[in-house]
Amino acid sequence: MNRRALAGNILGAALLASLLGCSAVSQTPSVPPKHPGDLPPGRVDCLECHKDVSTGALKPYASLRHSRVFIDSHGTYARKSQSLCASCHAPAFCQTCHAAKEELKPNTRMGDRPDRMAPHRGDYLVTHRIDGRIDPGSCYRCHGNKNDAKCRQCHK
Amino acid sequence: MGRRTIRGILRKSHSLACLALAVSLFHPVFPPGDAAAADLTFSSKTYVLGYERELAGGQKNRYVPAYEYLSADAANLGGKPVAIHFYGWGRVDLADQTGTGKTSGDIGSLYIEYLHPQGNAQVKAGRFLLAEGVAMETLDGGFAKVTTPLGLGFAAYGGVPVEHSILDNTDKGDSLYGGRVFFARSGFVEVGVSYLKEKGSFQGKDRELYGGDLWLRVAGPVELTGQVAYNQAVHEIASQRYAVRIVPHSTLDVSAGYESYTYKGLFQPALNPAFVSPAVDNGDKVQTIFGVLDWRFLPGWTLELAAKDIRHDKADPGNASRGEIGVRYAYNGRKDVAGLSAAAVAADKDENEYQEIRGFASYSPAKIRLALDAMAQKYKQEINGKKNAYQVVASAGYQLLAALQLSGDLTYTQSPNYQEDYAGLIRATLELGTSTGGKK
Repeated sequence: MNRRALAGNILGAALLASLLGCSAVSQTPSVPPKHPGDLPPGRVDCLECHKDVSTGALKPYASLRHSRVFIDSHGTYARKSQSLCASCHAPAFCQTCHAAKEELKPNTRMGDRPDRMAPHRGDYLVTHRIDGRIDPGSCYRCHGNKNDAKCRQCHK
Repeated sequence: MGRRTIRGILRKSHSLACLALAVSLFHPVFPPGDAAAADLTFSSKTYVLGYERELAGGQKNRYVPAYEYLSADAANLGGKPVAIHFYGWGRVDLADQTGTGKTSGDIGSLYIEYLHPQGNAQVKAGRFLLAEGVAMETLDGGFAKVTTPLGLGFAAYGGVPVEHSILDNTDKGDSLYGGRVFFARSGFVEVGVSYLKEKGSFQGKDRELYGGDLWLRVAGPVELTGQVAYNQAVHEIASQRYAVRIVPHSTLDVSAGYESYTYKGLFQPALNPAFVSPAVDNGDKVQTIFGVLDWRFLPGWTLELAAKDIRHDKADPGNASRGEIGVRYAYNGRKDVAGLSAAAVAADKDENEYQEIRGFASYSPAKIRLALDAMAQKYKQEINGKKNAYQVVASAGYQLLAALQLSGDLTYTQSPNYQEDYAGLIRATLELGTSTGGKK
């Protein structure tokens, strides 16, 4: 089977599942579209209120507590269930950093929130030369196809 | 040139038409009067910056860009699990021109979404940020996902990618589609395979990725995660990441793992010259071993440790290691946090070594909010004749109304780029909503 046919089959299967309607859909409750209660300020620790496994996310609440470990690897979880993130975060939250077009650094916008893990603090124009040399992959994920016209002043 | 312009106009028209169509298709779902049943949130964030820059020749330019960021979410429309989301921003220069024009802006997202109450089934149409398997894109198009009673799930998406190219002779992609098939069993495993194809001319080829991902709870507090992306266009694994995470107690979280990527595989679809030869050596490969620890050792107090060892195949840029230690203290009902951290990068080449120390604190009595953030960096090798950089950000704000906060920041910077630089920012934040509950 060639790749085109394989992709077609995958898309077809997804479409078929959608068309079959409710009988094809798991009866497990979805992640709620909105967290029912007000969230406390700062980093949220789901374990303060929840135990065991989230019925909607299908993962233990311990996996979702917003520790430094989770923040560093949040993409791993987001790529499996974006609706889980959306339960507590508006789309604008993700796009503070993950924007296709942006001019203001996240930490400039959040100067009143030094507790947030905002990248590029300080005069990052200097430090990015070093971080970019030793780990350019970490830059690429956000800047690979973004409107960073200012990059062209040096990167021609 | 003319052909490119017309193509751009057609693309923009196509994108707008798709958005209009998406919204109009769902219009019958919202009969007049049902809007009252919706959960509405609206956010406006206005930033006015002020700073000066000395240009070559001694001329001083004064910049005062004003930015407006708007976001609005209308959920539970007509009592149905349907929502519309919007996020966008605009800029007007009040003094000298900061960018390529006096004004700029973008629609980050504008989409309609149906979230089925069961099986995490959902449909989206419009412009949205997509994270699914090997895909991490902004897309003008559609997305559908469903999980079946057997635990097998499907996701599919397609549309026009929202990208910007600053790379000569390379335009953004024309179209993008793909999907993910996965199996999930509650609290035990989620494993998926995914595919993405973007039509375009990325170093002469389309972008075509095959992905695999895994989340596995091995035992009570131990989980394994893995993700791999194979770049079909260049016939090699573009990136992979594997980690073990242990949460033995509600106060302790530890993770360690391995990740790697090849420049050729990961950067093949790059639209930024910083990731393309000659800026980088396309034959290089990076392998990293990392570890992270987060330990709440006393109520409110958290210790953070992070380390990574980065190995390059090529002697230039060479290998490097980064270590980091930090302590955070949350107080005042967690509204305020103070922190102190230090980081050091040791490298094969002196030009890649630096140390960093940072301290911050906030204080929010009643309606006032004060924050201070200071950072110092020391480079092993001089940059522009300097080995040190400093930045201090002082912020003060006042909650004028329950929904309206005004604040201002003053930033002082001394670095290899700036002898002494002062920058100011005024911020107005308006948050309105018709319901309680979580959104951050």
